Amino acid sequence: MAPYLQPRVDGDLRSILDSHDTLHRMLDTLGSPLNLVLPDRLAANVRDFETTLRAYDLGGTVYFAHKANRSSALVRALATTGAGIDVASLGELQHALGAGIGPGRIMATGPKSREFLWLAARTGVTVGADSVPELAELAGIVAAHGLPRVRVMARLSGFASTGTTVLSRASRFGVPVSALDPLWTVLDKHREQLDFHGAAYHLDTNGIPEKAAALEGCLEAMAEAQRRGFGPRAVDVGGGFGVNYLADSREWEAWTTELTGAVLGQRPPITWDGHGYGLRNEGGRLRGALAVYPAYRAVAGPAYLDRLLATASTAHRRPLGALVLDNLYDLHLEPGRALLDQCGAVLTRVEEVRDGLVRVAANSNDVALEAHGVLMDPILVPRGEPRPDDGPVEVFLAGNLCLEADLITRRRVLLPRPPRAGDLLVFANTAGYLMDFSAGSALMQPTARTVAAWRHGGDWRWCLDERYWPVTGREETG
Amino acid sequence: MRYDSVTDIIGDTPLVRIDEAVHGLRNIDLYAKMELFNPFGSVKDRAAWNMVRHRLAGAADRGDTVVELSSGNTAKALAVIAGMHGLTFRSVTNRMRIPEVKDLLLLLGAQIDELPGRSECLDPADTDDPLTRMYHTVSAAGGGYLHTDQYFNDLNVEAHLRGTGPEIIADLDGRAPDYFIACVGTAGSSTGVARVLRRHDPNVTVVGLVAGKSDFIPGIRNLDEVHEVGLFDPEVYDTIEAVSSDEAIDGLLTLVRRCGTLAGPTGGGAYQGAVRYLRGVDAGLTERRTAVFIVCDRVESYMSYLRERRPELFRQPARAHSVRTLTGDELAAARTVDVAGAQEWIEKEQPLIVDLRSPFAYRALHLDGSVNIVDDLFEEMLRGGLPFSRRRPVLLVCPVGEKSARYAALLTRMGHPDARSLSGGVIAWRDAGAELVRD
Ligand SMILES: Cc1ncc(COP(=O)(O)O)c(C=O)c1O
Ligand SMILES: Cc1ncc(COP(=O)(O)O)c(C=O)c1O
Repeated sequence: MAPYLQPRVDGDLRSILDSHDTLHRMLDTLGSPLNLVLPDRLAANVRDFETTLRAYDLGGTVYFAHKANRSSALVRALATTGAGIDVASLGELQHALGAGIGPGRIMATGPKSREFLWLAARTGVTVGADSVPELAELAGIVAAHGLPRVRVMARLSGFASTGTTVLSRASRFGVPVSALDPLWTVLDKHREQLDFHGAAYHLDTNGIPEKAAALEGCLEAMAEAQRRGFGPRAVDVGGGFGVNYLADSREWEAWTTELTGAVLGQRPPITWDGHGYGLRNEGGRLRGALAVYPAYRAVAGPAYLDRLLATASTAHRRPLGALVLDNLYDLHLEPGRALLDQCGAVLTRVEEVRDGLVRVAANSNDVALEAHGVLMDPILVPRGEPRPDDGPVEVFLAGNLCLEADLITRRRVLLPRPPRAGDLLVFANTAGYLMDFSAGSALMQPTARTVAAWRHGGDWRWCLDERYWPVTGREETG
Repeated sequence: MRYDSVTDIIGDTPLVRIDEAVHGLRNIDLYAKMELFNPFGSVKDRAAWNMVRHRLAGAADRGDTVVELSSGNTAKALAVIAGMHGLTFRSVTNRMRIPEVKDLLLLLGAQIDELPGRSECLDPADTDDPLTRMYHTVSAAGGGYLHTDQYFNDLNVEAHLRGTGPEIIADLDGRAPDYFIACVGTAGSSTGVARVLRRHDPNVTVVGLVAGKSDFIPGIRNLDEVHEVGLFDPEVYDTIEAVSSDEAIDGLLTLVRRCGTLAGPTGGGAYQGAVRYLRGVDAGLTERRTAVFIVCDRVESYMSYLRERRPELFRQPARAHSVRTLTGDELAAARTVDVAGAQEWIEKEQPLIVDLRSPFAYRALHLDGSVNIVDDLFEEMLRGGLPFSRRRPVLLVCPVGEKSARYAALLTRMGHPDARSLSGGVIAWRDAGAELVRD
């Protein structure tokens, strides 16, 4: 049998997933699939990142990358903390403002429409610009509409490394550090409209050396800005701190070994159609690379930030955290996935069990494990009376679309016992990107409703996401 | 002994017996094949030289770059050989994890390309990983590269078929050992030697050693990675066993402390793996047997690897005058001065202002008239005693007033009568609107 990949679940998420009656009641009311979010956990995760910053005596703001989840409850809960929010569209900006997050705590990033730029400037949020033309366009809007001066950060890219050449994937975003002159020119020309706050990067990698080179590159650019008479105050290190999805590293190691064996034909396949997740067999040799998220990560989230800040700058031979502080800069960050660790789950109902195939009332857009390459088992929540324990079974998980490719995961998953129609399969720790990032309504199948749940004394309370406000029910406990 | 070229020294390494008192095997003579005596320091000198020597002349004419996927000994040997022949060498690696080797490669003039980490926001459709892409670039004919391709190149194995293997047999008076134990990186050395030994005596037992999955021993592969190796053929080995980095270091310590053999971690791993395996057979033996393991390279390059895993081996004497030894009382008694107080004090008494931040930050902005001594350097200076007169008051500044308070307490303990720390640091100074300058 292929090994389990049991999700890491702790704290409140563990406790509510153990409340089987509550879960069944929610699903009976609102249907399958159903998204569950835990706003209080987001606030706790914010504190963990802030604690890491403070350990380096650094000031700065944790901006939650909104794109990772659409929930209103999460954003409203965020409003009660000291954190900020990173919005990447006009809709996200409106959502954040409407949730009560003040413009001083909002950062607008990503590709921007004119409307998005206008509302950002009008309300006075910080604009994280991707390019020089974007800054010029923003300055034009500010001047034409007589808006107040806008605080801007410039995203940089194409960082060089010292000593060794650290290769990095090319990015479509950011001003190349090798050609910053146009940036200084536009900032200088529009000093009345643009208030340069600092440099930013966001790299799509889990490699610390690349990020260290990027942070160092930003500091160099900011030193140049100082020489040119700007007064930069903060550096933004973007997102990408990662989540450890699995409870046990040995399961991950065992599973990847089994996959290697299966691809090489040394054991029967453990995936749909012998899918190799990027690995190939070429004449008995293993080729390609495992194209999945490294589901077990020993260092993720705040610990990853700590690792980055403890990394020594190659040019200045000093930990990067100390170097940022020496320069009196604040350090901003934009974690998405990592801030949503343990903040939610997708609940699905088992519709049919037949021939090693379990069909659930949800599809691979509702639970985006495959799209994001995250491999882990669902949790089986049986319905009704306890049944005799028949022992573990291996099954494939199919979705509710009439497409051959609609598998929730192409892994064959191991369940502790055979599921039955009416049981729930719960995909835990899916709040970051795996919940509603790509959900649509293909085939007019129902899209998931979202409920927010919180502790009330010893019980769980829950309501529809859009009806959640941080005041709901809490005064009663006071 | 006279040679025309240093490459003539490659090979012909000694076979040295390990004292029974050290390994404790009663019926087995254990020998170390001392590959660390190769001129560039490792077993990989043989493979590197064998893979390039016939191609050097043409490559030099075309101005090709020698390229290899290696972060260790193969890169080192190729960098030296390329340099000797007027070629440049480029090393492509996942991660340069051994800083000493990285520095040595840079010293030798190598260019090092580190491949990017895994994508955080994955696109599973993109199976075109950076390594594969790199492979296509350097393998294209006429692309300006001499790609040695050590994981797939039969000349790597051949170096040991013709050198290492026959040498062992010759040194054992024409007999193959009963057991041969080696760590597996590219599998070149173990495969080459094993084939020679088996040809001589089909009963030889061959033990291949790899690292555990989440473990790391520089130079060798782990249980899964070994399947990516083109030269790896499971049939070569009677058994493949994992050896942990902990065992490798234990073995290394035995070799360097008790056997006069300055072996690196894989030499240590091979020794420890050999003894572990042989202990199982030793008890049942009735006649004498012989075993050989390979000491691949030298210990000196692995100091930071060892320090990270066994800090206690590098026990250092407690430092005099260290901020780490300050008591809570001493810290609480440190004198501090706020921004307004400091401005007045500077005006009246002109204390020496020491800025403990990095030179990079100091250059950008600092208090007028301050001197910059970055904290680690300042700590180093204080070990020798007070570096300035007791009669001159001192104002210490750092970003937030934390470190400067500790140094003020330390100076006070060392007998300085008036050392103060700027409370809130340069950030408070800036936020109060006080002047900061750049020179
Ligand atoms: C600019 C920017 N910031 C932050 C993030 C969040 O990244 P993560 O969820 O990996 O922390 C993203 C993700 O795409 C991004 O593009
Ligand atoms: C230190 C060290 N030990 C052992 C080996 C393994 O040798 P081979 O590549 O011949 O398997 C290597 C090879 O890279 C090495 O660098």
